[in-house]
Amino acid sequence: MDKVIGKAVTRVEDMRLLTGQGKYIDDIGTPSQTFQAAILRSSSPHAKIVSIDTAEAEKMAGVKAVITGEQVKEYLEPFSVGVSAPVQYYPIAIDKVRYVGEPVAVVIAKSRYIAEDAMELIKVKYETLPPVVDIEGSLEKDAPVLHENVGSNIANHRTFNYGEVDQAFEEADAIIKHKYLFPKYTATPVETYGIIAHYESSEKQYTVHANFHGPFVIQAIMAQALKIPSNKLRIIVPKDIGGSYGIKAGTFPYMVLLSVASRIAGCPVKWIEDRQEHLSASSSGTDRVTYIEAAVKKDGKVTGLRMKMIDNVGAYIRAPEPACLYRTHANSTGAYDIPNLHIDAYAIMTNKLPTGLIRGYGGQELYFPLERIMQKIAFELNLDPADVIRRNLIQKDQFPYKTASGGLYDSGDYIKGFELALETGKYEEFRKKQEEARKDGKIFGVGLACIVEPSGSNMGYITVALTPEERAKSLPKSGCSEAATVSMDPMGSVNVRISTTPSGQGHETVAAQIVSEVLSIPSDKIKVVAELDTSTSAWSIASGSYSSRFASLGSSAVFYAANKVKEKLMKIASHQLNVDESELELRNGAFYVKSDPAKKYALKRAAGSAHWNPLSLPEGMEPGIYETYYYSIKAAEPPDENDLINSSVTYGFVADLVTVEIDPETGEINILDYITIHDAGKLLNPLIVDGQIFGGLAHGLGGALFEELVYDNKGQLLTGSFMDYLCPTAPEIPNVTIKHIETPSPMTPLGAKGLGEGNTMSAPVAVANAVSDALSPYNVAIDTLPLSPNRIWTLLNEAKENNHKEVTI
Amino acid sequence: MEGKGKLVLDAGVERAYEVLLDPSVLEKCIMGCKKLVLVEDNKYQAELSIGIAAIKGNYSSMIEILDLQEPNHYKLAVKGEGSPGTVEAVGVVDLTPDGESSTLLNYSYEAEVGGKVAMVGQRMLGGVAKMVIQDFFKKLGKELKRIEQSA
Repeated sequence: MDKVIGKAVTRVEDMRLLTGQGKYIDDIGTPSQTFQAAILRSSSPHAKIVSIDTAEAEKMAGVKAVITGEQVKEYLEPFSVGVSAPVQYYPIAIDKVRYVGEPVAVVIAKSRYIAEDAMELIKVKYETLPPVVDIEGSLEKDAPVLHENVGSNIANHRTFNYGEVDQAFEEADAIIKHKYLFPKYTATPVETYGIIAHYESSEKQYTVHANFHGPFVIQAIMAQALKIPSNKLRIIVPKDIGGSYGIKAGTFPYMVLLSVASRIAGCPVKWIEDRQEHLSASSSGTDRVTYIEAAVKKDGKVTGLRMKMIDNVGAYIRAPEPACLYRTHANSTGAYDIPNLHIDAYAIMTNKLPTGLIRGYGGQELYFPLERIMQKIAFELNLDPADVIRRNLIQKDQFPYKTASGGLYDSGDYIKGFELALETGKYEEFRKKQEEARKDGKIFGVGLACIVEPSGSNMGYITVALTPEERAKSLPKSGCSEAATVSMDPMGSVNVRISTTPSGQGHETVAAQIVSEVLSIPSDKIKVVAELDTSTSAWSIASGSYSSRFASLGSSAVFYAANKVKEKLMKIASHQLNVDESELELRNGAFYVKSDPAKKYALKRAAGSAHWNPLSLPEGMEPGIYETYYYSIKAAEPPDENDLINSSVTYGFVADLVTVEIDPETGEINILDYITIHDAGKLLNPLIVDGQIFGGLAHGLGGALFEELVYDNKGQLLTGSFMDYLCPTAPEIPNVTIKHIETPSPMTPLGAKGLGEGNTMSAPVAVANAVSDALSPYNVAIDTLPLSPNRIWTLLNEAKENNHKEVTI
Repeated sequence: MEGKGKLVLDAGVERAYEVLLDPSVLEKCIMGCKKLVLVEDNKYQAELSIGIAAIKGNYSSMIEILDLQEPNHYKLAVKGEGSPGTVEAVGVVDLTPDGESSTLLNYSYEAEVGGKVAMVGQRMLGGVAKMVIQDFFKKLGKELKRIEQSA
């Protein structure tokens, strides 16, 4: 059997998806007597609920129940959160609403039409309160407070000092500093949230079908909120999820809400979210203000960094927030060798949609200020930005590299990757072209970004939100477990069960490739089952699809489970052939005796005998072939008493070079070329890899140029449809060149690292750097996103009017 | 959102003032007004049905007339609530005689919307407000003419 791992195998998922046979949440059918739900939502960003009159709505024919927060509360505890601030978060407003779109009542009716019509008859009386939407405004003394019992809008605050930060700043030749704002934006999966919830009073059990992809630690949080033993909450995830990019982790409050609604209404309930609900009330990325300060030597070498980060988690802090602040904690200094680091981290609450996972989670918020300041260092010290990056990149011989904040970068060759980007993008040549173009009044620019792409989250990192003293009071959390099961049936066919809840990443294909290679069976003969069922699947708290963890963790669990099967089959073959296992080799579906290739024992027969003739098995061996492997990595340790944390288990590298031309008349940015170099260790399937990279880049370009959830200063959302929330479509995607280098990870058995999120982290700042480079003759620098023509045109014209006085957004 | 404008009415200032505040005239002239009921002095309950962009629906509104300075000035405060969201608006009307049978009307308004209307309709709102106001005065003009002729 040839090598299969690493081959560009086409996806087994595609046939069913392209022929309309995908099994999404809306395709899986419902139990009989299922009713439909519609959710009444707040149109006020901040108000007390005075009264809710449901009488008229209840009278409508076909309405089964109208449910309000007061009724729901009886069956719930607030969701537990990973911070010490006593924020009470329920999946529906109880006495106050805190953002536009917050659920206020649920109507259960025969059809969605009836439910929506009945919803219009509910009368809610509000007493409006002043809202707060601005990040820094939320910290002002007289700011309206969202949660009175918390006393302020601060959900979490921690300060970290690593190395000799003050000394680095005292000894610096220059201190370069600036403030940056990364805006609130979202991901826009084609399929919205969908839930079928059913409470059965006979068993006191909730069964919930939902397109929720973990992290499954949230199953424990949901069970706790529902006040039931965790095995009474059965979650079943369909085979296909129509995209998520992190956002669907935010399905969980609705799973709990619909569960309780089913219990109160006494019937199974189904709810499919509409697009307006999705944009206004699902989940979003976290907007962040960063004050960044770099201690720099004359040659551009950065010796210390100070960052004050203020994350806006929206109206309620909820799991897994404030993780956006800490997911990249280990790689806070990015691809650079910076030993001294100070971080002042805040998570604050405002009257906006609560935030959560999103592709790149924390990365784009970190690298936007970090890579912008690297360019600013170059400009202020009159150096080439490429030279400043070169001077600071971690060198090949420094790996495995320990970062200031406790990260362990497993492998890499950053200089090689960066030089490949410069060479592929013809950096020097472009600089000459740019100079010529400027003479003709044309505006050209080139942007660079080097980032570290973390993958496989350490479940312990979120506890960095607590002080070492607070952490000591509870049990430590660590690891990054994932499980997989490989079984063979009586006819010798292989089934693989995974718990990585793919939402389009092709896990079934790659799992089949791995098992195929290990067991020497053609991959099209292997069946992979991706549905997750918390009552029957092998899973753990870390299971799910997030932090690009399949390549590093999911694939490793599959690999080791397949090896367990192989070992058992080899024992059977060895017993039957009466030769030592070391004498055997597996190829072409059979165990061959190395010294006598004429003697062999078919793999299928070995598997079959475990079912049909268990008495023939070696002494003490269990019948059947069914092996589960739980995989974790030792490097995922809990944070130590000095707050050192290796927040991810593998770290890839991305170097981007982007060239742009700006139309001086309209301010429109035209991306000429986008070069992206990736090192994700050993690639498991290059075809899927490039697809994932394209997707991540499209999202990154959306963040750079188009996408923002805009709220007015009164807390009203202004981008509630795709008319106003702009996403890039195919014509907006520029020429993209993807190249790979492979430095295998020593952490994982296949040498693979996660990928697919890298360009979502890098593209916003790479484009911002290109635009700042282009506009540097006008003294215009980019401090926030997205870079709409309107914003660029305004900046350009203000700069012209101010006669080259420095202007920033 | 805010705006202002002016126009000339073909009636003397007193007649214009009287007609502008006549509930039966208002009911006829306000776009989408299904019902207008006086609930107390200078306070009306109105049922409005109006579409802004893709958001159509019914608003139950309270209209209050304030700051009455007959026949030159008054203020309108509108608070509407319905399934598509909320609308709050304040309008100021000033009337100045422009000859005997003609009146100059100046108006200004400030409006805020919330909920779905803001999410989806914000972009269209300026245009919609202009349309509603222009439609109101067009109908009012006709109504004035009718009253003048029958008087």
